[in-house]
Amino acid sequence: MAQPAVVYEEDVTHESSWDADEALTAVYTAHYTSLVRLGVLLLRDTGAAEEIVQDAFVAMHGRWHRLRDPHKALAYLRTTVVNRCRSRQRHLVVVDKHTPTSLPDEPSAEQAVLQSEETDRVIEAMRTLPEKQRTVMVLRYYGDLSEAEIADAMGISRGSVKSHAARATKSLRQLLEQNV
Amino acid sequence: MTDHPKDPFDELMRRALHDEADRIEPADALPEIRARAHAQGRPALRPWLLTAGVTAIGTAAAIGAFTVFTGSDNSANDGDAVAGSGTTTTASGAPASGGTQSPVQSQVPTRATQPPTAIPKATTAGPTDRPAPEQFVRTAVVPVYWLGPQIGAKSKTSARLYRTWSKVSGRPAEEAVRIMTTKRPDDPDYFSVWQGAAVNTVTRSGGVVTVDFKQLPKTTLDAQLASVAAQQLIYTVQGALKDATEPIQITEGGRAGQRLFGQIDTSTPLGRAQSADVQALVWINSPAEGEVTDGKVTVAGVANAFEATVNYQLTNLKTKETKKSFTNAREGQKFSPYAFQVVLTPGPWQIEVYLISPADGTITDTDSKSILVR
Repeated sequence: MAQPAVVYEEDVTHESSWDADEALTAVYTAHYTSLVRLGVLLLRDTGAAEEIVQDAFVAMHGRWHRLRDPHKALAYLRTTVVNRCRSRQRHLVVVDKHTPTSLPDEPSAEQAVLQSEETDRVIEAMRTLPEKQRTVMVLRYYGDLSEAEIADAMGISRGSVKSHAARATKSLRQLLEQNV
Repeated sequence: MTDHPKDPFDELMRRALHDEADRIEPADALPEIRARAHAQGRPALRPWLLTAGVTAIGTAAAIGAFTVFTGSDNSANDGDAVAGSGTTTTASGAPASGGTQSPVQSQVPTRATQPPTAIPKATTAGPTDRPAPEQFVRTAVVPVYWLGPQIGAKSKTSARLYRTWSKVSGRPAEEAVRIMTTKRPDDPDYFSVWQGAAVNTVTRSGGVVTVDFKQLPKTTLDAQLASVAAQQLIYTVQGALKDATEPIQITEGGRAGQRLFGQIDTSTPLGRAQSADVQALVWINSPAEGEVTDGKVTVAGVANAFEATVNYQLTNLKTKETKKSFTNAREGQKFSPYAFQVVLTPGPWQIEVYLISPADGTITDTDSKSILVR
């Protein structure tokens, strides 16, 4: 998500006059894909991630008159997506326990070949983490968010972000030791 | 938050998560979002937000309804199996939901140049068991197929299938057919020969999907175009039902046997043709026609290209600035995703992707979109 931010700097003179539709189009174009990807990393369910992100955009459109700023809009979207993914995930834990081997979007054989073994190892290791730790790690390494931004998006303190990150890093390092 | 920038652990995490994320190429959802944003009332709660008790069912439904649509960067997976390349007769029926669906055999491979092969045995249109109508859904995203001219084809009437997405509520397949028969595609290059037809119901029974029309199209077409047009219906219905195996029985006023487009015998159900025979070999999935974007544009789609090469040319219609290059689809000789990113100056742009014949260098297949870069 660091990438598209550049777009705004080029466009900074126009954005304040955007109406909700223009803002929607612009923010959608710059961030829809990365937000869906963020959702998929959190949920491992592409369809659900898309639904959540689409809902978030609809909500953003509705409150554009209050946001009036693409950076704020993005922060709002991110928070909404993270929240909804997390609440969805908490429900899923129940289901997950009963279907440990056939997750909805387990990559097909074809994809599995294409994807590097290294990535698989990391993703598998990530799955062993508690939900908060995993969310922190996804926002940190995929979202490239600062501690403060992660705290905002998750509605927790910076200190908690720090401790979740530290614990996650420790577990992951152990799991991935041979590879690093 | 950053540790040492070159910490191999940080690098590994970053690389792996981006690698994993990059597999996801969501389909364009801007039209749906815009439509919903303008619709009255608050967005509907997703089933799984209602109660935890419903979650398991809701999840299963959501998986059925959504993972197959987009998401994975697997190619044209509307839940209909993507038939394999011309060299194989096996449909790679493994959409995003890999393990949950067994590969689907394309049961009735037909050549586009012939009328679709009728399924023997299932000779009655009115099955004896009670036909099941579709379930009502609040929202679903369905593929709707259109015809697009095949560039460089020997026959002028040659056409191939292009896919667009529509959000519907009600009965997905019925609504998809309604769109196909009454609406105009956003892309001016696409067309439908089904205009004037009026769908009545879509029902399933005994392994056959029956699409009943109040009125079938009255146009008479040449045999080749008629068979692709029949596939347009079959692909659309099967895509909406997420089942690429059940043949489609076309009836009018409950009666089978009309000659569709003056060519096609509909006294028996029609099967799906191989995608390599009817589907356009290159598609742009995003951006959508008429989309307004900023300068950074990712063009993504599906191509079945010789040696995976997908050529593109982008033209600023105002300044005549052009960008011409090529990219590679993930795999050659089968339907496979491609994507490239360009930075465009403001103005109206025409995006064209095309395939070149390895035999004589002529353009064989193309798709194009007009967008506005602000």
